[in-house]
Amino acid sequence: MNKFFLKKLSIICFILIPIIFLWHPNWLGFLGVQPYWPLFWLLPWSMINGSINGLIFGLFLGLILDSLTVNDSFTQIPGLMFCGFLFGKIKLHSNILIGHFRYGLICSFGSFLCGTLYFLQILFRNFSDSNSLMLIPSFKNILAEVFLTGFLAPFICSQLLRIFKFSRRRFLQ
Amino acid sequence: MLGIRRISTNRWWHKKKNWILFAIFLFLVFVRISKGSFYKDFYYFISKPFWPGQFQKEIILESIDQEYLIKFNLLKKDNIRLRRILSLQELSNNENISAAVISRKTGSWWRQIILNKGSKDGVEIGNVVIGPGGLLGRVKDTSLLTSSVTLITSPESKLGVWLDRIQINGLLVGLGDDYPSLIIYSKDADIKVGDFISSSPASTLLPPNIPIGIVQSIDETLKSKKTAKISLLAKPHVIDWVQILK
Repeated sequence: MNKFFLKKLSIICFILIPIIFLWHPNWLGFLGVQPYWPLFWLLPWSMINGSINGLIFGLFLGLILDSLTVNDSFTQIPGLMFCGFLFGKIKLHSNILIGHFRYGLICSFGSFLCGTLYFLQILFRNFSDSNSLMLIPSFKNILAEVFLTGFLAPFICSQLLRIFKFSRRRFLQ
Repeated sequence: MLGIRRISTNRWWHKKKNWILFAIFLFLVFVRISKGSFYKDFYYFISKPFWPGQFQKEIILESIDQEYLIKFNLLKKDNIRLRRILSLQELSNNENISAAVISRKTGSWWRQIILNKGSKDGVEIGNVVIGPGGLLGRVKDTSLLTSSVTLITSPESKLGVWLDRIQINGLLVGLGDDYPSLIIYSKDADIKVGDFISSSPASTLLPPNIPIGIVQSIDETLKSKKTAKISLLAKPHVIDWVQILK
Protein backbone atom coordinates (compact mmCIF):
# COMPACT_ATOMS: atom_id res chain seq x y z
CA MET A 1 0.00 0.00 0.00
CA ASN A 2 2.75 2.36 1.02
CA LYS A 3 4.71 1.46 -2.11
CA PHE A 4 1.66 2.16 -4.24
CA PHE A 5 1.34 5.65 -2.75
CA LEU A 6 5.03 6.33 -3.32
CA LYS A 7 4.74 5.28 -6.96
CA LYS A 8 1.65 7.32 -7.65
CA LEU A 9 2.61 10.39 -5.64
CA SER A 10 2.65 12.69 -8.67
CA ILE A 11 -0.82 11.50 -9.74
CA ILE A 12 -2.15 11.97 -6.20
CA CYS A 13 -0.84 15.54 -6.27
CA PHE A 14 -2.51 15.96 -9.68
CA ILE A 15 -5.86 14.95 -8.15
CA LEU A 16 -5.36 17.48 -5.36
CA ILE A 17 -5.05 20.43 -7.79
CA PRO A 18 -8.79 20.77 -8.56
CA ILE A 19 -9.54 20.49 -4.84
CA ILE A 20 -7.20 23.33 -3.93
CA PHE A 21 -8.51 25.28 -6.95
CA LEU A 22 -12.03 24.98 -5.52
CA TRP A 23 -10.96 25.48 -1.92
CA HIS A 24 -9.63 28.94 -2.79
CA PRO A 25 -8.04 29.77 0.59
CA ASN A 26 -8.67 33.48 1.07
CA TRP A 27 -5.87 33.95 3.57
CA LEU A 28 -3.38 33.07 0.84
CA GLY A 29 -4.77 35.61 -1.60
CA PHE A 30 -3.36 38.95 -2.68
CA LEU A 31 -5.90 41.63 -3.71
CA GLY A 32 -8.47 38.81 -3.63
CA VAL A 33 -6.52 36.86 -6.26
CA GLN A 34 -5.08 33.36 -5.78
CA PRO A 35 -1.85 31.93 -7.18
CA TYR A 36 -2.34 29.88 -10.34
CA TRP A 37 -2.21 26.46 -8.66
CA PRO A 38 -1.92 24.12 -11.69
CA LEU A 39 1.45 25.58 -12.68
CA PHE A 40 3.04 24.45 -9.40
CA TRP A 41 2.36 20.86 -10.41
CA LEU A 42 2.88 21.24 -14.15
CA LEU A 43 6.41 22.68 -13.86
CA PRO A 44 8.06 19.78 -11.99
CA TRP A 45 6.04 17.21 -13.93
CA SER A 46 7.07 18.62 -17.32
CA MET A 47 10.70 19.10 -16.23
CA ILE A 48 10.94 15.41 -15.34
CA ASN A 49 8.77 13.89 -18.08
CA GLY A 50 9.44 16.16 -21.05
CA SER A 51 7.52 18.42 -23.40
CA ILE A 52 5.06 15.93 -24.86
CA ASN A 53 3.98 14.73 -21.42
CA GLY A 54 3.75 18.37 -20.31
CA LEU A 55 1.55 19.18 -23.28
CA ILE A 56 -0.78 16.24 -22.64
CA PHE A 57 -1.08 16.88 -18.91
CA GLY A 58 -1.55 20.59 -19.59
CA LEU A 59 -4.56 19.58 -21.68
CA PHE A 60 -5.84 17.26 -18.93
CA LEU A 61 -5.45 19.96 -16.29
CA GLY A 62 -7.20 22.48 -18.51
CA LEU A 63 -10.10 20.09 -19.09
CA ILE A 64 -10.56 19.45 -15.38
CA LEU A 65 -10.27 23.09 -14.34
CA ASP A 66 -12.61 24.24 -17.12
CA SER A 67 -15.19 21.75 -15.90
CA LEU A 68 -14.97 23.26 -12.41
CA THR A 69 -15.51 26.85 -13.53
CA VAL A 70 -18.84 28.08 -14.78
CA ASN A 71 -17.39 30.33 -17.51
CA ASP A 72 -18.32 28.27 -20.57
CA SER A 73 -17.10 30.79 -23.09
CA PHE A 74 -13.49 30.91 -21.92
CA THR A 75 -10.96 28.13 -21.50
CA GLN A 76 -7.68 27.61 -19.66
CA ILE A 77 -6.52 24.80 -21.98
CA PRO A 78 -4.34 26.78 -24.47
CA GLY A 79 -2.37 28.49 -21.69
CA LEU A 80 -1.77 25.29 -19.73
CA MET A 81 -0.83 23.27 -22.85
CA PHE A 82 1.63 25.93 -23.95
CA CYS A 83 3.12 26.13 -20.44
CA GLY A 84 3.38 22.32 -20.24
CA PHE A 85 5.23 22.22 -23.54
CA LEU A 86 7.50 25.11 -22.59
CA PHE A 87 8.30 23.75 -19.12
CA GLY A 88 9.35 20.45 -20.69
CA LYS A 89 12.19 22.20 -22.50
CA ILE A 90 13.73 23.43 -19.23
CA LYS A 91 16.64 21.47 -17.87
CA LEU A 92 17.42 21.07 -14.19
CA HIS A 93 20.05 23.47 -12.86
CA SER A 94 22.96 22.14 -10.84
CA ASN A 95 22.94 25.05 -8.37
CA ILE A 96 20.02 24.54 -5.97
CA LEU A 97 19.70 28.21 -4.98
CA ILE A 98 19.59 29.43 -8.57
CA GLY A 99 17.15 26.60 -9.26
CA HIS A 100 14.76 27.96 -6.60
CA PHE A 101 14.72 31.43 -8.12
CA ARG A 102 14.34 29.98 -11.60
CA TYR A 103 11.15 28.18 -10.52
CA GLY A 104 9.74 31.50 -9.33
CA LEU A 105 10.57 33.29 -12.56
CA ILE A 106 9.37 30.46 -14.80
CA CYS A 107 6.06 30.12 -12.93
CA SER A 108 5.56 33.91 -13.01
CA PHE A 109 6.08 33.84 -16.75
CA GLY A 110 3.72 30.87 -17.13
CA SER A 111 1.07 32.59 -15.02
CA PHE A 112 1.42 35.77 -17.09
CA LEU A 113 1.02 33.72 -20.26
CA CYS A 114 -2.08 31.87 -19.01
CA GLY A 115 -3.62 35.06 -17.59
CA THR A 116 -3.03 36.98 -20.81
CA LEU A 117 -4.45 34.21 -22.99
CA TYR A 118 -7.55 34.07 -20.77
CA PHE A 119 -7.92 37.85 -20.82
CA LEU A 120 -7.60 37.90 -24.63
CA GLN A 121 -10.48 35.43 -24.84
CA ILE A 122 -12.62 37.69 -22.62
CA LEU A 123 -11.68 40.72 -24.72
CA PHE A 124 -12.43 38.90 -27.95
CA ARG A 125 -15.77 37.72 -26.61
CA ASN A 126 -16.84 41.17 -25.37
CA PHE A 127 -15.34 42.98 -28.32
CA SER A 128 -18.07 45.57 -28.75
CA ASP A 129 -19.31 45.91 -25.20
CA SER A 130 -16.92 47.02 -22.55
CA ASN A 131 -13.35 46.69 -23.71
CA SER A 132 -12.03 49.81 -22.06
CA LEU A 133 -13.78 49.12 -18.76
CA MET A 134 -12.20 45.71 -18.43
CA LEU A 135 -8.56 46.72 -18.91
CA ILE A 136 -7.68 47.97 -15.41
CA PRO A 137 -9.31 45.17 -13.35
CA SER A 138 -7.85 42.60 -15.73
CA PHE A 139 -4.32 43.96 -15.44
CA LYS A 140 -4.73 43.98 -11.68
CA ASN A 141 -5.82 40.34 -11.76
CA ILE A 142 -2.94 39.26 -14.01
CA LEU A 143 -0.28 41.13 -12.04
CA ALA A 144 -1.53 39.90 -8.65
CA GLU A 145 -1.59 36.33 -9.96
CA VAL A 146 1.89 36.64 -11.48
CA PHE A 147 3.28 38.02 -8.23
CA LEU A 148 1.71 35.35 -6.01
CA THR A 149 2.59 32.47 -8.31
CA GLY A 150 6.18 33.64 -8.59
CA PHE A 151 6.38 34.16 -4.84
CA LEU A 152 5.15 30.69 -3.88
CA ALA A 153 6.73 28.70 -6.71
CA PRO A 154 10.25 28.38 -5.20
CA PHE A 155 8.76 26.81 -2.05
CA ILE A 156 6.24 24.50 -3.66
CA CYS A 157 7.88 23.56 -6.97
CA SER A 158 11.24 22.57 -5.51
CA GLN A 159 9.50 20.36 -2.93
CA LEU A 160 7.29 18.75 -5.56
CA LEU A 161 10.26 18.22 -7.87
CA ARG A 162 12.15 16.49 -5.07
CA ILE A 163 9.13 14.29 -4.28
CA PHE A 164 8.48 13.40 -7.96
CA LYS A 165 12.15 12.56 -8.54
CA PHE A 166 12.22 10.40 -5.44
CA SER A 167 9.01 8.64 -6.43
CA ARG A 168 10.27 8.08 -10.00
CA ARG A 169 13.58 6.67 -8.76
CA ARG A 170 11.75 4.24 -6.51
CA PHE A 171 9.47 3.33 -9.37
CA LEU A 172 12.39 2.66 -11.73
CA GLN A 173 14.12 0.52 -9.14
CA MET B 1 -12.67 100.77 74.47
CA LEU B 2 -16.12 99.44 75.22
CA GLY B 3 -17.56 101.45 72.30
CA ILE B 4 -15.08 99.96 69.80
CA ARG B 5 -15.89 96.45 70.93
CA ARG B 6 -19.64 97.04 70.48
CA ILE B 7 -19.21 98.30 66.94
CA SER B 8 -17.12 95.27 65.98
CA THR B 9 -19.77 92.80 67.20
CA ASN B 10 -22.40 94.51 65.11
CA ARG B 11 -20.62 94.12 61.70
CA TRP B 12 -22.96 92.62 59.00
CA TRP B 13 -20.79 89.61 58.33
CA HIS B 14 -21.20 88.54 61.91
CA LYS B 15 -24.88 87.85 61.25
CA LYS B 16 -25.87 84.37 60.10
CA LYS B 17 -29.00 85.65 58.38
CA ASN B 18 -26.96 87.78 56.00
CA TRP B 19 -24.85 84.80 54.95
CA ILE B 20 -27.97 82.78 54.28
CA LEU B 21 -29.33 85.58 52.11
CA PHE B 22 -25.98 85.74 50.29
CA ALA B 23 -26.05 82.00 49.69
CA ILE B 24 -29.57 82.22 48.27
CA PHE B 25 -28.44 85.08 46.04
CA LEU B 26 -25.50 83.04 44.76
CA PHE B 27 -27.78 80.08 44.12
CA LEU B 28 -30.18 82.29 42.15
CA VAL B 29 -27.27 83.71 40.12
CA PHE B 30 -26.23 80.12 39.36
CA VAL B 31 -29.82 79.30 38.35
CA ARG B 32 -29.86 82.36 36.07
CA ILE B 33 -26.53 81.55 34.44
CA SER B 34 -27.43 77.89 33.97
CA LYS B 35 -30.73 79.01 32.40
CA GLY B 36 -32.82 76.99 34.78
CA SER B 37 -31.14 73.67 34.02
CA PHE B 38 -31.22 72.83 37.70
CA TYR B 39 -34.98 73.26 37.75
CA LYS B 40 -35.40 71.24 34.59
CA ASP B 41 -33.29 68.40 35.99
CA PHE B 42 -35.21 68.56 39.24
CA TYR B 43 -38.45 68.44 37.32
CA TYR B 44 -37.08 65.40 35.46
CA PHE B 45 -36.83 63.47 38.71
CA ILE B 46 -40.13 64.50 40.24
CA SER B 47 -42.09 63.91 37.02
CA LYS B 48 -40.49 60.55 36.29
CA PRO B 49 -43.21 58.41 37.95
CA PHE B 50 -45.83 60.07 35.76
CA TRP B 51 -44.12 59.58 32.38
CA PRO B 52 -45.71 57.51 29.61
CA GLY B 53 -44.15 54.17 30.54
CA GLN B 54 -42.37 51.49 28.55
CA PHE B 55 -45.61 49.62 28.30
CA GLN B 56 -47.27 52.46 26.43
CA LYS B 57 -44.29 52.68 24.04
CA GLU B 58 -44.52 48.97 23.30
CA ILE B 59 -48.24 49.22 22.56
CA ILE B 60 -47.63 52.04 20.10
CA LEU B 61 -44.72 50.23 18.39
CA GLU B 62 -46.79 47.09 18.11
CA SER B 63 -49.62 49.06 16.54
CA ILE B 64 -47.19 50.64 14.06
CA ASP B 65 -45.78 47.19 13.20
CA GLN B 66 -49.25 45.84 12.60
CA GLU B 67 -50.13 48.84 10.47
CA TYR B 68 -46.99 48.36 8.34
CA LEU B 69 -47.60 44.64 8.01
CA ILE B 70 -51.16 45.16 6.82
CA LYS B 71 -50.05 47.89 4.40
CA PHE B 72 -47.21 45.65 3.15
CA ASN B 73 -49.57 42.72 2.55
CA LEU B 74 -52.07 44.95 0.75
CA LEU B 75 -49.33 46.40 -1.46
CA LYS B 76 -47.93 42.94 -2.15
CA LYS B 77 -51.32 41.66 -3.23
CA ASP B 78 -51.79 44.76 -5.35
CA ASN B 79 -48.36 44.27 -6.88
CA ILE B 80 -49.03 40.61 -7.72
CA ARG B 81 -52.40 41.52 -9.28
CA LEU B 82 -50.88 44.27 -11.42
CA ARG B 83 -47.97 42.04 -12.45
CA ARG B 84 -50.42 39.36 -13.55
CA ILE B 85 -52.31 41.94 -15.62
CA LEU B 86 -49.04 43.04 -17.29
CA SER B 87 -47.80 39.40 -17.59
CA LEU B 88 -44.52 40.19 -15.81
CA GLN B 89 -42.27 37.84 -13.85
CA GLU B 90 -43.45 37.14 -10.31
CA LEU B 91 -41.49 36.78 -7.11
CA SER B 92 -42.71 33.81 -5.11
CA ASN B 93 -41.62 33.63 -1.52
CA ASN B 94 -42.94 30.16 -0.91
CA GLU B 95 -40.37 28.15 -2.82
CA ASN B 96 -37.05 29.47 -1.58
CA ILE B 97 -34.26 27.01 -0.93
CA SER B 98 -31.64 27.82 1.70
CA ALA B 99 -28.15 26.67 0.81
CA ALA B 100 -24.65 26.93 2.26
CA VAL B 101 -21.65 28.13 0.27
CA ILE B 102 -19.17 25.23 0.05
CA SER B 103 -16.69 26.74 -2.40
CA ARG B 104 -16.06 30.34 -3.16
CA LYS B 105 -14.00 31.85 -5.96
CA THR B 106 -14.40 35.59 -5.64
CA GLY B 107 -11.05 36.76 -6.96
CA SER B 108 -9.39 36.79 -10.37
CA TRP B 109 -11.39 35.76 -13.48
CA TRP B 110 -13.47 32.99 -12.04
CA ARG B 111 -16.18 34.54 -9.92
CA GLN B 112 -18.43 31.77 -8.78
CA ILE B 113 -19.76 30.08 -5.68
CA ILE B 114 -20.73 26.45 -5.27
CA LEU B 115 -23.75 25.65 -3.08
CA ASN B 116 -24.58 22.49 -1.18
CA LYS B 117 -27.97 22.06 -2.86
CA GLY B 118 -28.31 20.51 -6.29
CA SER B 119 -30.83 19.05 -8.68
CA LYS B 120 -31.85 16.54 -6.00
CA ASP B 121 -33.20 19.45 -3.93
CA GLY B 122 -34.99 20.99 -6.89
CA VAL B 123 -32.42 23.61 -7.92
CA GLU B 124 -32.62 24.40 -11.63
CA ILE B 125 -30.36 26.18 -14.07
CA GLY B 126 -31.30 29.85 -14.21
CA ASN B 127 -32.55 30.09 -10.62
CA VAL B 128 -31.72 33.37 -8.93
CA VAL B 129 -29.48 33.38 -5.86
CA ILE B 130 -29.78 36.09 -3.24
CA GLY B 131 -27.90 36.68 0.01
CA PRO B 132 -28.02 39.21 2.83
CA GLY B 133 -28.03 42.51 0.94
CA GLY B 134 -29.54 41.42 -2.34
CA LEU B 135 -28.75 39.69 -5.62
CA LEU B 136 -25.64 37.49 -5.87
CA GLY B 137 -26.02 35.74 -9.22
CA ARG B 138 -27.75 33.00 -11.17
CA VAL B 139 -27.36 29.24 -11.11
CA LYS B 140 -25.32 28.28 -14.15
CA ASP B 141 -24.87 24.60 -13.59
CA THR B 142 -26.24 21.91 -11.28
CA SER B 143 -25.02 18.49 -10.25
CA LEU B 144 -26.95 16.00 -8.15
CA LEU B 145 -25.76 17.50 -4.87
CA THR B 146 -24.30 20.90 -5.76
CA SER B 147 -25.04 23.93 -7.89
CA SER B 148 -22.59 26.46 -9.36
CA VAL B 149 -23.57 30.10 -9.34
CA THR B 150 -22.12 32.73 -11.68
CA LEU B 151 -21.72 35.86 -9.59
CA ILE B 152 -22.76 39.22 -11.03
CA THR B 153 -19.10 40.29 -10.82
CA SER B 154 -18.07 37.57 -13.32
CA PRO B 155 -17.00 38.72 -16.81
CA GLU B 156 -19.71 36.40 -18.17
CA SER B 157 -22.55 38.12 -16.31
CA LYS B 158 -24.77 40.65 -18.07
CA LEU B 159 -28.05 41.72 -16.47
CA GLY B 160 -30.73 44.25 -17.12
CA VAL B 161 -31.16 46.52 -14.09
CA TRP B 162 -33.39 49.38 -13.05
CA LEU B 163 -32.48 52.80 -11.67
CA ASP B 164 -35.47 53.74 -9.59
CA ARG B 165 -34.75 57.45 -9.10
CA ILE B 166 -34.55 58.31 -12.79
CA GLN B 167 -36.79 55.41 -13.91
CA ILE B 168 -34.39 54.06 -16.53
CA ASN B 169 -33.07 50.63 -17.50
CA GLY B 170 -29.35 49.87 -17.73
CA LEU B 171 -27.02 46.95 -18.34
CA LEU B 172 -24.93 45.62 -15.46
CA VAL B 173 -21.73 44.01 -16.76
CA GLY B 174 -19.26 42.04 -14.62
CA LEU B 175 -15.65 43.02 -15.20
CA GLY B 176 -13.76 40.44 -13.16
CA ASP B 177 -13.32 42.69 -10.13
CA ASP B 178 -15.54 43.46 -7.12
CA TYR B 179 -17.27 46.39 -8.80
CA PRO B 180 -19.40 45.58 -11.85
CA SER B 181 -20.09 48.33 -14.33
CA LEU B 182 -23.46 49.85 -15.15
CA ILE B 183 -23.86 50.92 -18.77
CA ILE B 184 -26.64 53.33 -19.69
CA TYR B 185 -27.06 53.85 -23.40
CA SER B 186 -28.09 57.46 -23.05
CA LYS B 187 -25.74 60.40 -22.65
CA ASP B 188 -28.42 62.53 -20.99
CA ALA B 189 -29.31 60.16 -18.15
CA ASP B 190 -29.16 62.08 -14.87
CA ILE B 191 -27.37 59.37 -12.91
CA LYS B 192 -25.79 60.40 -9.58
CA VAL B 193 -23.43 58.85 -7.05
CA GLY B 194 -25.53 57.11 -4.40
CA ASP B 195 -28.32 56.06 -6.78
CA PHE B 196 -29.79 52.69 -5.93
CA ILE B 197 -30.13 49.96 -8.53
CA SER B 198 -32.36 46.90 -8.41
CA SER B 199 -33.45 44.16 -10.77
CA SER B 200 -35.66 45.51 -13.48
CA PRO B 201 -39.44 45.29 -12.88
CA ALA B 202 -39.81 44.41 -16.56
CA SER B 203 -37.15 41.70 -16.54
CA THR B 204 -38.00 38.23 -17.75
CA LEU B 205 -34.79 36.67 -16.37
CA LEU B 206 -34.90 37.97 -12.80
CA PRO B 207 -37.69 38.44 -10.30
CA PRO B 208 -38.49 42.14 -9.91
CA ASN B 209 -37.17 44.62 -7.37
CA ILE B 210 -34.30 42.64 -5.88
CA PRO B 211 -31.76 45.14 -4.46
CA ILE B 212 -28.40 44.97 -6.25
CA GLY B 213 -26.14 47.90 -5.43
CA ILE B 214 -25.36 51.58 -5.22
CA VAL B 215 -23.63 53.82 -7.77
CA GLN B 216 -20.13 54.52 -6.50
CA SER B 217 -18.60 56.61 -9.27
CA ILE B 218 -19.58 57.77 -12.73
CA ASP B 219 -17.46 57.83 -15.86
CA GLU B 220 -18.63 60.30 -18.49
CA THR B 221 -15.69 60.10 -20.88
CA LEU B 222 -17.49 57.88 -23.37
CA LYS B 223 -19.43 59.64 -26.11
CA SER B 224 -22.58 57.66 -26.64
CA LYS B 225 -23.15 56.14 -23.20
CA LYS B 226 -22.63 56.64 -19.49
CA THR B 227 -20.92 54.08 -17.33
CA ALA B 228 -20.87 53.83 -13.55
CA LYS B 229 -19.04 51.70 -11.04
CA ILE B 230 -21.46 49.81 -8.76
CA SER B 231 -20.78 48.86 -5.16
CA LEU B 232 -22.75 45.69 -4.48
CA LEU B 233 -24.98 45.39 -1.42
CA ALA B 234 -24.47 41.62 -1.06
CA LYS B 235 -20.82 40.70 -0.43
CA PRO B 236 -20.14 37.27 -1.92
CA HIS B 237 -16.70 36.93 -0.33
CA VAL B 238 -18.18 36.80 3.20
CA ILE B 239 -21.66 35.32 2.75
CA ASP B 240 -21.99 31.73 4.00
CA TRP B 241 -25.73 31.14 3.53
CA VAL B 242 -27.82 32.08 0.53
CA GLN B 243 -31.37 31.70 -0.75
CA ILE B 244 -32.16 30.17 -4.12
CA LEU B 245 -35.36 31.64 -5.59
CA LYS B 246 -37.31 29.26 -7.75
